[in-house]
Amino acid sequence: MATAVANSSGFKVDVTDRGLSRNLPQRLGKALWLPMLAMAVMAFPAGVILGAVRADAIATGGSESTIAALGHAIPAVNFIGFASVFAAITFAIGRILGEFRVGGGRVQEATHAKVKTLKMPATGKAMIVGMMMAMMTIVAAVVLHFVAASSIAGGSTYALNHSEQWSFWLEGGRRAGIGLYLLSITLGLASIVEVVRFQAIRIHELPGESGTVRAA
Amino acid sequence: MAISLEVRPDVGADFRAQSKSRTAGLVVGVIGLMLVMVALIGNIVAGNGSGADAARIGAWTFGLTTAGFGVLKAGIALTLVGILARLWFRVDGLKHALPALKPATTAPPVVRASEVGTPFGKAVVSNDEPKPLFIHRMAKSLWLPMLAMGVMAVLAGFIVSLVQAGEVRSDPQFATQLSAWVQGLQFLGEGFILSGISFLLGTILGSLRKGSGEVQKASGVTFKTLKMPVTGKLFVALMMAGMMLAIGQFVAYVAVSTLSDPQTIASYFAWLGPVREAALGLLLSGIVLALATIAKVLGFQFSRVTEIVSVGH
Repeated sequence: MATAVANSSGFKVDVTDRGLSRNLPQRLGKALWLPMLAMAVMAFPAGVILGAVRADAIATGGSESTIAALGHAIPAVNFIGFASVFAAITFAIGRILGEFRVGGGRVQEATHAKVKTLKMPATGKAMIVGMMMAMMTIVAAVVLHFVAASSIAGGSTYALNHSEQWSFWLEGGRRAGIGLYLLSITLGLASIVEVVRFQAIRIHELPGESGTVRAA
Repeated sequence: MAISLEVRPDVGADFRAQSKSRTAGLVVGVIGLMLVMVALIGNIVAGNGSGADAARIGAWTFGLTTAGFGVLKAGIALTLVGILARLWFRVDGLKHALPALKPATTAPPVVRASEVGTPFGKAVVSNDEPKPLFIHRMAKSLWLPMLAMGVMAVLAGFIVSLVQAGEVRSDPQFATQLSAWVQGLQFLGEGFILSGISFLLGTILGSLRKGSGEVQKASGVTFKTLKMPVTGKLFVALMMAGMMLAIGQFVAYVAVSTLSDPQTIASYFAWLGPVREAALGLLLSGIVLALATIAKVLGFQFSRVTEIVSVGH
């Protein structure tokens, strides 16, 4: 299959004889959106249950270390949920972009015109980088929350005394991760806008290309 | 000036032009992230402080972070508006091009509407253009009011958090009561914003359905419309459950703000925190399913357009 890179109506495109298949991020998106969603759906109820346990411990005068340890475990579990659900959203966006890529190629192929496929926009690349950074930030915060929780539960006085300080730091970190995720999602959606703009322009070009006009 | 909630561009609008909504969405998103980063610095400072100082900083950083999330989500909504407008340009392009691209054949007449299986799920074949579903009409009417209410609630909560930060030293009990209001208001606002985004996604699904009808009508072919996938039905259920929980947590926080015993308040705060986050989790899970539904509908539509170009009907 001959592939060339060209400029078309101000877009960088791959020109091929046949439609292209999904690229790696889009294949990942198609495969992973559902497992990620399933993980999120399990994490949030677990957080609610742990929250109820901690509330009961506070109400009944439970031990300080149990309350503090749960105070770290609960956000850790909840943020596994958030990391998963935001990953699922990002993967679902990748899946949509994959439908545009494959579907757009098939339609052009059916018209016997050269197939032009938009190269990944800068916003698409930024989405992938942003998502990875966000995921790493949240996972790091979750791991540190679990480390703090297990140290406190294990009887460390040092950990108990520093519990509130660590909570402040980790809260800032995991929220920064969520912020990065939200921006990555915006970047992914911005890529969809660009892809649809390209396809709207390309559709107008098709009747004038090659010998595809069959009936008026 | 009336706002068209369908976001359909005017006839003759330039389909080649860059999307202003997209640019605005990205700018608003970056501003939102900057607010979150300012709060992160505040959190680091709070962690190094102690007692009332840490509580004071913790109060306003909570309000600022949640406001930053609200701004980021508003950026997402603006970008979705850009997608909606672009999809209409795509519909207009297909209406213009498809009659010229398809072979001059005619389909056997459809006696009555029937269902056919496709790789994307069941589709209805009929002579009539598909009508908008109730959920699509509701989504089109509600996305903007929901977003507006959400942004207002999140900003109101941020202002209350500033007042709370000022009261931490002078009146700690009042500050605790205000803290309940901040959390309740801001997470209600977040819930409204996510509902607004969900309704925008519903509006996109509605425009895909309506646009598909228009394109098939312009091409003079029978109408094939994908039936609502399971993911679409689950999306509506999760969104409603999430919204109800978001309202429920707000009511509970308001009730907690009337209490005076610190131990009881701390106990309620302990379980309300995960509950309010579960509300957002439900709404976000619904959004995932809405996006998956959009992907499925797009796959079906590309397959239908390919069929029309190849077979002619």
